[in-house]
Amino acid sequence: MSTETKPPPLSLDELAQLKWLLGGVLTLLGVWTVSYMDVEAWELVILTTLVAGACVWWPTLPARVPALMHTLAFPLIVAFFVGDLWLTGSILPAMVRLDILLLLYRTASYRQRRDDLQIIVLGLFLIVVAGVLTVSLAFAAQILVYTGCALLFLLTITLVDAAHGNVKAGIFAPVPRTVPGWATHADWPRLFRRLHDVADARVVVLAVALFAGVVAISAVLFMAIPRFQLENSLFLERFVTKKAKSGFNDSIRIGDVTEIQQDTGIALSVDVSDRSQAPGAPYWRMLVLDDYTEGVFRLSPRLRMTAFGARERTGASALREPMPKLGAGVVWTFFLESGVSRYLPFPGRWERVQFRESQNFRLAPDLGLLALREEPVTMTAYRVEGVEISPVIPDPSFARRWKAANDSDRRHGGLQSTLNVNVSDTERLRALADEITGGAAVAAGDFIERAGAWLRERHSYALSPVIPRGTGDPLVRWMTSREAGHCELFAGSLVLLARAAGFPARVVTGFRGGTWNAYSNNFTVRHSDAHAWTEIFDPEIGAWRRTDALAAPEVQRAAEQTGEAALARRADSSWKARLDSLRVFWYRRIVSFDQQSQTETLRNLKAGAQRGGQQLREALARAAAAVRAWFGGPWDARRVAVVVGWIALNAGVVWLVQRGRIRFRHWRSAKSDDPVRADASRWLRRLGECPVPTAECAAVRGELQRLRFGARVTWPEPEGVFRRARRALREARRERRPA
Amino acid sequence: MSDFVQAGQITEAKAAVERLRANMRLTIRGKDDIVEQVLVCLAAGGHLLIEDLPGVGKTTLAYSLARSMDCAFSRIQFTSDLLPSDVTGVAIYDETVKEFVFKKGPVIANVVLAYEINRATPKTQSALLEVMDRARVTVDGEAHAVGSPFMVFATQNPVDYEGTFPLPESQMDRFLMRLQMGYPRAADELEILRSQRGGYDAIALNPVVTRGDVLKLQTLVHQVFVEESVLEFILKLVAATRTEAEFRAGASVRAGIALRTAAQARALVLGRDFVLPEDVTELTGAILAHRLALARQTSDALEVRRAVNAVLKRILAAIPAPA
Repeated sequence: MSTETKPPPLSLDELAQLKWLLGGVLTLLGVWTVSYMDVEAWELVILTTLVAGACVWWPTLPARVPALMHTLAFPLIVAFFVGDLWLTGSILPAMVRLDILLLLYRTASYRQRRDDLQIIVLGLFLIVVAGVLTVSLAFAAQILVYTGCALLFLLTITLVDAAHGNVKAGIFAPVPRTVPGWATHADWPRLFRRLHDVADARVVVLAVALFAGVVAISAVLFMAIPRFQLENSLFLERFVTKKAKSGFNDSIRIGDVTEIQQDTGIALSVDVSDRSQAPGAPYWRMLVLDDYTEGVFRLSPRLRMTAFGARERTGASALREPMPKLGAGVVWTFFLESGVSRYLPFPGRWERVQFRESQNFRLAPDLGLLALREEPVTMTAYRVEGVEISPVIPDPSFARRWKAANDSDRRHGGLQSTLNVNVSDTERLRALADEITGGAAVAAGDFIERAGAWLRERHSYALSPVIPRGTGDPLVRWMTSREAGHCELFAGSLVLLARAAGFPARVVTGFRGGTWNAYSNNFTVRHSDAHAWTEIFDPEIGAWRRTDALAAPEVQRAAEQTGEAALARRADSSWKARLDSLRVFWYRRIVSFDQQSQTETLRNLKAGAQRGGQQLREALARAAAAVRAWFGGPWDARRVAVVVGWIALNAGVVWLVQRGRIRFRHWRSAKSDDPVRADASRWLRRLGECPVPTAECAAVRGELQRLRFGARVTWPEPEGVFRRARRALREARRERRPA
Repeated sequence: MSDFVQAGQITEAKAAVERLRANMRLTIRGKDDIVEQVLVCLAAGGHLLIEDLPGVGKTTLAYSLARSMDCAFSRIQFTSDLLPSDVTGVAIYDETVKEFVFKKGPVIANVVLAYEINRATPKTQSALLEVMDRARVTVDGEAHAVGSPFMVFATQNPVDYEGTFPLPESQMDRFLMRLQMGYPRAADELEILRSQRGGYDAIALNPVVTRGDVLKLQTLVHQVFVEESVLEFILKLVAATRTEAEFRAGASVRAGIALRTAAQARALVLGRDFVLPEDVTELTGAILAHRLALARQTSDALEVRRAVNAVLKRILAAIPAPA
């Protein structure tokens, strides 16, 4: 053995151990993606995790599985799948469970090459399904890790096959109930040490760099190719991802929102093309609830029919009505997370909604609302143009109907003014309305302020309200008490009071406010921002007035302020916001990236590159001209001194840099890792691989050995020895070359 | 290792070793590797155990070494009735001076050939313990120094175990290395057959080094530099024998020190003032094998040696040498 001896390469057994380990890792990576999906398979996931972990750690375990199990495994799995399909009737969840079972079986038995390849395919299936459904940033990270592991796995399989040759029934052909040789002495810490010793750092760095390069190029290509919706091209439409607690349905019961407000997950991210037009705390309208019966607000069937219409539309855009735009080209881009609602949030009235792809939806032009046919299973992106943000929402159609209606129609004709409570509660409500108005007829705006103030004076805000026990309507009981309440109670109470005072009124649900992400410059609205407020019809102006009984008028006015200052007050620059900005980046650039923004980005990239190149060329040209002009001038002693000084300065800098480099390496190196010894070791290794060992090679080898293993005081000058080694190696290579 | 070896000292040492080597080659043919290891053992100040069949040159090797040095040589034929005092010497009452006078045993020499050491009883074998360890014998409470330098050159037959007493582990540990001579190659054997030599007395070699030269060599060995990674390599090798399931017990601390010293001696014998990892790997078998016992019971001594050497080779392959 000489000093140039490299660690022995990985043996066949060690490669087989590595293959086993990577197979287990791929199985776990694949199976864990199921946690993103709303599939009833957590028992299987836990079982597979435990079995895969145990089999990886103790590779002799699969030999203890009875041979009968191997015989029955596939029939049992197929029977399970058929039964699953029969009972649930859902293809994809059944396939996911089938996939997990197959992975479980593969990971708990010794594998041949085709079984290893199956693991890759089965794991990839789970990852792709989860990724396509969730379209999340985690998917990107997961597919990267999985791809890296799969590549390493394939390399190991190839190495094992190459080392194993064409022997069919060798040590790696699994024999039931027999522990293969490699598994008997598997020692993972030792394998890791061996991998560490054997791995060439340069090759590893190169491989990682190549992988990163391929990923970067793929990312650029991905951004350049046209978008398409994968889930619509496959059979995943009915498959449901994890749901957040939304509570935004056609009807809400008082108290349900409490749960939503505990959820701080993101519900909505909104890009605003012109920040000066963005209010500090928008009200994101989603749903109007006009009917009230026994503590339940709901969208009445009548309004559903009249507002949303009987016909469902299909298309990539929804055009409402032309209206003055808020400045030229102001666009609001919404990224609505899955599981929030099928009703899309809007910050006010709007003219046009553009989806990424064709959707089935119903449009309520008078209400300014849009409902998709079903709650989206993935993040839904849409752009809204012609947005008008105002606390006053004109409704000419309703105004005409209100004007034409008589008193009876107004009370019972579905004009959003029906109390729907018993006689005594009706009387109590009218008495309360009289108390608020002082028994006089007041304008809607005046009533709104008085009623809001009356409610805020009697009730404080609380997430967990207490509704007093008793008979009659629960909302009236709360209103007449002094208990604290949440937004729905305030909004509902204001609706009843307004209707008692003779004003049409309705509850509106959605979100209020949100934060302004200081990193990605967008609104971030969380589930905890869910809110309910009131819209009261003002017959004098023929429009609905938005009012938030929880907020004082001055607070509401402050929330309506627009521009940078208003956004700055809501700016969030925390670490959480930084993480959220990554998600928005992902949405902007990868998910919701239509042809136009794609072209814009590529154009910007090109323009930026051209601009940078042009600037660089100009700077170089200016520098060259200046140098030429300087050298072309008359020479004197001072100029010569400047040149000499400049050369000396550069030489000094080079010398200092080199010294610094050596000192830095000395500083970084531990005692056992002396840089000179390390260099000597490297040169010894290179000389050991020298094709023709010349006399010079032999001579310099002794000196290198002294540098590597000798006492420091006996060292020759290291740099000189290394130079000689370089020369010797070059000569040896030259001699090897055929004439 | 406090002082470093001067270039001149290395040259002198190398010259002395080369003289010894050349002189021994006159009688030991085709066994350069064995001669080199004997010289390493001499330089390291250790004792040597040679195991092989009778008549392959064990005694000749010892004679050659002893006669190449200007040293006292003695030969002890170990038998089952040999007494400790036959080895160490005995105090005899002298009428003329009216007191006990110490009569030196054959062990009081510079090179002692302990022939067929395993034929003596354990009691007699153990008489060698002190002298091998401390280079002195104690008789009737009085210590007597043996020669300086002092080297025990023991032989034993690995095949014929009839009527023998295997050396205890404690005594095995005191031998720096164990060697096997092996048969010579055909050409070398033919050359031996052509020679007219008859008997050990016919080995006519002139001393080429003095006792002082050998002592200087032995002193110089301890000044040969051992780099940290080489020391760690030695430690890893020794530690690996302790965790190896096939061994009943691992190598001792003394074994590690012996490996380091032998590696230093080899470096010096080859004219270097620093140790290379190959010095360690080349000597690992000779230094460690006789100190290790297999966990499984095997009656065949040759099988034991083969198995131990195989495990040591595996350990050497598994532990990367510093490069």
